Amino acid sequence: MVLSGVTKRFGDVTAVDGMNLEIRDGEFFSLLGPSGCGKTTTLRMIAGFEYPTEGSVRIQGREMGLEPPNRRPVNTVFQSYALFPHMTVAENVGFGLKMRGVGRSEIAERVARALDQVQLAHRSDARPSQLSGGQQQRVALARALVNEPAVLLLDEPLGALDLKLRQAMQVELKELQERVGITFVYVTHDQEEALTMSDRIGVMNEGRLLQVGEPEAIYERPTSRFVADFIGHINLVTAECAGSGMVRIGDGAEVAVPGVQGAGGKVTIALRPERLHLTAPDADIPAGANRLRGVVRRRVYHGDGFTYEVAVAGTVLEVRTENTPGLVRYEAGSDICVYWDPSAANLVED
Amino acid sequence: MAAPVTPELEAAAERAQARRGLLVSLPAYAYLVVFFAIPLVIVFVVSVFGRRNPRGATVYGPPTLDAYRKIFEPGPDGSYLVLEIVWRSLWLSVVTTIVCLLLAYPLAYYIATRTPRVRNALLVLVMIPFWSNFLVRTYAWRVLLGRSGPVTAVTSALGLTDTPMIFTVNAVLIGLVYGFLPFMVLPLYAAIERMDWSLVEAARDLYASGWQAFRKITWPLSRPGVIAGSILVFIPAFGAYVTPEILGGSKTTLLGSYIVRQFLQARDAPFGSALSFVLMSVMLGATIVYFRTGARNL
Ligand SMILES: Nc1ncnc2c1ncn2[C@@H]1O[C@H](COP(=O)(O)OP(=O)(O)OP(=O)(O)O)[C@@H](O)[C@H]1O
Ligand SMILES: [Mg+2]
Repeated sequence: MVLSGVTKRFGDVTAVDGMNLEIRDGEFFSLLGPSGCGKTTTLRMIAGFEYPTEGSVRIQGREMGLEPPNRRPVNTVFQSYALFPHMTVAENVGFGLKMRGVGRSEIAERVARALDQVQLAHRSDARPSQLSGGQQQRVALARALVNEPAVLLLDEPLGALDLKLRQAMQVELKELQERVGITFVYVTHDQEEALTMSDRIGVMNEGRLLQVGEPEAIYERPTSRFVADFIGHINLVTAECAGSGMVRIGDGAEVAVPGVQGAGGKVTIALRPERLHLTAPDADIPAGANRLRGVVRRRVYHGDGFTYEVAVAGTVLEVRTENTPGLVRYEAGSDICVYWDPSAANLVED
Repeated sequence: MAAPVTPELEAAAERAQARRGLLVSLPAYAYLVVFFAIPLVIVFVVSVFGRRNPRGATVYGPPTLDAYRKIFEPGPDGSYLVLEIVWRSLWLSVVTTIVCLLLAYPLAYYIATRTPRVRNALLVLVMIPFWSNFLVRTYAWRVLLGRSGPVTAVTSALGLTDTPMIFTVNAVLIGLVYGFLPFMVLPLYAAIERMDWSLVEAARDLYASGWQAFRKITWPLSRPGVIAGSILVFIPAFGAYVTPEILGGSKTTLLGSYIVRQFLQARDAPFGSALSFVLMSVMLGATIVYFRTGARNL
């Protein structure tokens, strides 16, 4: 599926702005971004509920143009599920097949198989209102998958579920996707969900697609300040180039950052808190590491680890440590040393 | 100082709550009893215990079903006049309901799918007729459908007919549809407006054409509005009095007018009461049947 130059304007609001995106067959692709960035609008343009103001949507090599939703080889799982309240579970799931004129006995067979796949065969005569949220979610999934679409569109399908159920459904969804081999386009504003489930992620902001890549690439090598900041926790430090791969931060301390060129220019470097390490001020550190002396300002307990706020070189860095046996804890106010491998730092555009 | 809650205290609190609820709804109950339940009992008593004496006064004696029997008996000329009138009232109100539904549904759908501002403006337009008196508006139709009215001018110019429509069944039908249309539009609008449109999108997504999505989703989900609107039109149309009096002729007498005539001209209060009672029973029956079928299909 290919989107090229897709723009959608609602009056003065540009919801999606010149989007170019290629989604590969059979991949689990997530669109990730904050509220109002245009994720739903993008999905609706693929489904045909909304037409682009300009641009092209091609699915399986076919230009979609102004084709209505019923003539597109895609199906949607809605955030609110949109199950038909006046039909049984089986009628809901069989609706698409019936509309396409599939025979009665084949419908029954495929509906049974689809309900089996989502472990709801025993509820086929229930009404949607008699099901729990998680069950409704699975009916919505079965209703879309039974049609064997080329692409399945999911708009925050787990948004209405509680945390435990959401995590269970994430695993279930991912397994299902691998089993059926259908392309999933998954909209979410939950970065963890996107990271754990996706083959590739596209990060959006204000209608624009900022970066597309595998989860690791997005997390480890964000190219823009927005992507770095939106996904996980990160330290963004403004620095001045000091020549030969060095930058000067805050009060003038120099640290090595690979890929920095020239001198005098301003750059932003991004450092993940878990890539920074703490040690006593005069302890040995690995060769080649950057080191900065500082003072612990605050320590926050997370159960599986600690986050330290450390004042160093005229700025504040967040440092994350795992809660491992024998871990040395530092109290607020103690002198400390922060060190990290230069490769942990990333240059990002503002 | 408050005491810890015990089951007795909780029960007492709930009883107090229920009493307060009753107190608040007392005016409504009083209204229903005084203006509905008591008159209904009076009508029933007159129809069963009353007899018309030769001077047109009502006298009371042991219970009898004579007044009800009279409905099914042929008149002096051998025709079943009363049954004819009941039948005419029935089909005319059914046709009125259907015509109203056919006209109102597209209108309500159109209004419900506009932006909120346009929607409110259109709703005001639907309700504007209520600003002037029903009687006055019905007399206006008398002019419109009359001998020198525009409708007759058009039909005779087209070479269809020179006879004005006034005082015919069709004139009554037009008057009834005109009068009751808003009562169909408003509940339909309410039902369509609160519909979840993502359901229609889901149907379109599942290969339904626009028409199929309407048939399978919009129509069944707007059925509560169809039921409410139909009842609101059918019941007053069945008992209509003003419209057929003004726009109808002697051959189009409806039940409402006929009942009034029993009281005011024939001075047969027991028979008029019996007819009223039958009228109300038919309405009640129709309402129950309609609600039952509607509820089952939902
Ligand atoms: N039908 C519409 N008319 C006018 N503006 C719209 C319409 N639909 C969306 N927008 C605007 O387009 C922008 C993008 O909306 P969209 O629903 O695509 O965001 P989103 O990324 O899905 O957000 P969320 O995470 O909150 O669902 C928003 O500013 C929104 O107000
Ligand atoms: Mg959205």
